[in-house]
Amino acid sequence: MTKNSSTLTSARPKLSQQLQKASFQKTVFLLIAIVPTFGGYLLFGLYPNLMSVYYSLLKWNGITKPKFIGLQNYVNMFQDKYVWRALLHNLFFMATVPFFILAISVLLAYLLTNKGYKGTSLLKVLFFFPNVLSTVVVSLLWAFIYDGSFGLLNALLKLIGIDMQGYYWLGDARTALTALVPPSVWAGVGLYVVIFVNAMTTIPKSLYESAILEGAGNMTRLFRITLPLMTPIIRVSAIFLVLGTLKTLDMVLILTRGGPAGSTDVIGLYMFNMAFGEQVRSYGYASAIGMFLFVILVGAKLAVDKLLPNREYEY
Amino acid sequence: MKEHRTAFDLIWWVVLAAWSLSILFPVVWVIYESLKTNQEFFQNVWTLPETLNWGNYLSAWERFKLGTTLLNTLYYVGASLVIGTFLTSLNAYALTRMNFRGRKLIWSLIMLSLFLPGINALIPQYILMRDLHLTNSLTGLIILDVLGENVFFLMLLGGFMQSLPMELEESAKIDGASLFKIFSRIIMPLAMPGVITVAIFKFLGLYNTFLQPFIYLSDSSKYTIGVNIYQANMRMQYTNDWVTLFSGVVITMIPSLIVFIICQRWIVEGATMGSVKG
Repeated sequence: MTKNSSTLTSARPKLSQQLQKASFQKTVFLLIAIVPTFGGYLLFGLYPNLMSVYYSLLKWNGITKPKFIGLQNYVNMFQDKYVWRALLHNLFFMATVPFFILAISVLLAYLLTNKGYKGTSLLKVLFFFPNVLSTVVVSLLWAFIYDGSFGLLNALLKLIGIDMQGYYWLGDARTALTALVPPSVWAGVGLYVVIFVNAMTTIPKSLYESAILEGAGNMTRLFRITLPLMTPIIRVSAIFLVLGTLKTLDMVLILTRGGPAGSTDVIGLYMFNMAFGEQVRSYGYASAIGMFLFVILVGAKLAVDKLLPNREYEY
Repeated sequence: MKEHRTAFDLIWWVVLAAWSLSILFPVVWVIYESLKTNQEFFQNVWTLPETLNWGNYLSAWERFKLGTTLLNTLYYVGASLVIGTFLTSLNAYALTRMNFRGRKLIWSLIMLSLFLPGINALIPQYILMRDLHLTNSLTGLIILDVLGENVFFLMLLGGFMQSLPMELEESAKIDGASLFKIFSRIIMPLAMPGVITVAIFKFLGLYNTFLQPFIYLSDSSKYTIGVNIYQANMRMQYTNDWVTLFSGVVITMIPSLIVFIICQRWIVEGATMGSVKG
């Protein structure tokens, strides 16, 4: 007993030393672990987001002294018919791209999961492939497909007897906007197939088996079992896709640069051109458009939340 | 599932085959067009090249200065990947497994970025980079990426690390291990599956980034491969040497293709981890 307590007393200063050392170590570790990343996030992430509000109140070309003009940029923006045209194109993409991506990937995922064909795991991987290609590669690939003189699309149409006579799909205002939908769908489906396949495999097989016993066909099973149980994940995917479609500008930039005659301009690209374009350098005005986009994005998220109620099914 | 095949199954099978073809065919088409001569190229889309002109790849390599471009890309992607993954791992560990004052505040500020679309920050970010003299510099791009928003990877790794038992640190501490040792010898090895997933997705993301390099790099000697092949396509309007451009596009595809083939299992599984982000 006495022996024990004596060792304890002698250990006491050591222990406090050790504790001190440990707390010093912890401080150093935390400094290394938190400061660069969190500081960087504050500087390169949060700060620019806050500054975009301020910039939208300036008349500024980035070089001369900025001039505070209040809400003038916003007034100009609401009278700018090109902003509204770009927004209309965004709405077109929002209505088409997410719909096609979701419809195609639900169908493909259903076929891969529930039909038991051979080689489905290989197909799942293959379908994902376009998702690992860069936007530049996907865009150029489709630019080649749409080309008038050597394009794959015209050649395919010729095979089935439609001669487009060297029609440039991206060069004509009538078809350019629609032609931008397939590349986005093509490049986007794979990810959602994988997401949906994984979600579908968690649905108990017994549900399908009893449905088959009761004579339910493919369509009944898809619409009565699979889709209702998938609603939460489809909902999240829809929000993600709609917001993503609103933000995109790089594919349009690469494929058409908003042309011909502005027929494919989208709001992100219009903002980009206002800020970094060859003729104009209007950081204030571009920031105002950016703020507008921010408001639309929040609005779109709320709208999708409302349109697709978050129902949870139990099984 | 036991079920009889019907005529419908043929249709469904055709649907699957059609989607597979829509992916394979354009890619294969670009490859075989890239092996033609320019004359053959304009004659007929369908004919196969008479002789395989691998020389197109050589001229693409020289004309588009792919050597320099690939070195730039390697520097940008490699440095961002290594430093970024390391910092994210450290950060995820500290934020999920350590107790300190202000942790909750830091987390909620980080979570805030999930609500920010980011696109409206493009211009202030550019001004900031310009004021810090980080434009037209690959190192600047690395700094922006490494210190920028990594919330998605942070959440992925944080979730992974949280699932490890808490007793690990406690018993290591009793044995007298320092925090640095605990992190490098215990946590990192155990979190490796998560770290690898993050690294693969970082690679794909960085290699495929177009907008930032496009905005920030002005000297063509600093271009990354994506920007380079975009500019090559723009110039093509005047030169009409399409087979060389096709070869360039195929070369651009190769790194993604290799990583995809080697890591497909990780990628396809990791993709769903990412979907939790919403």
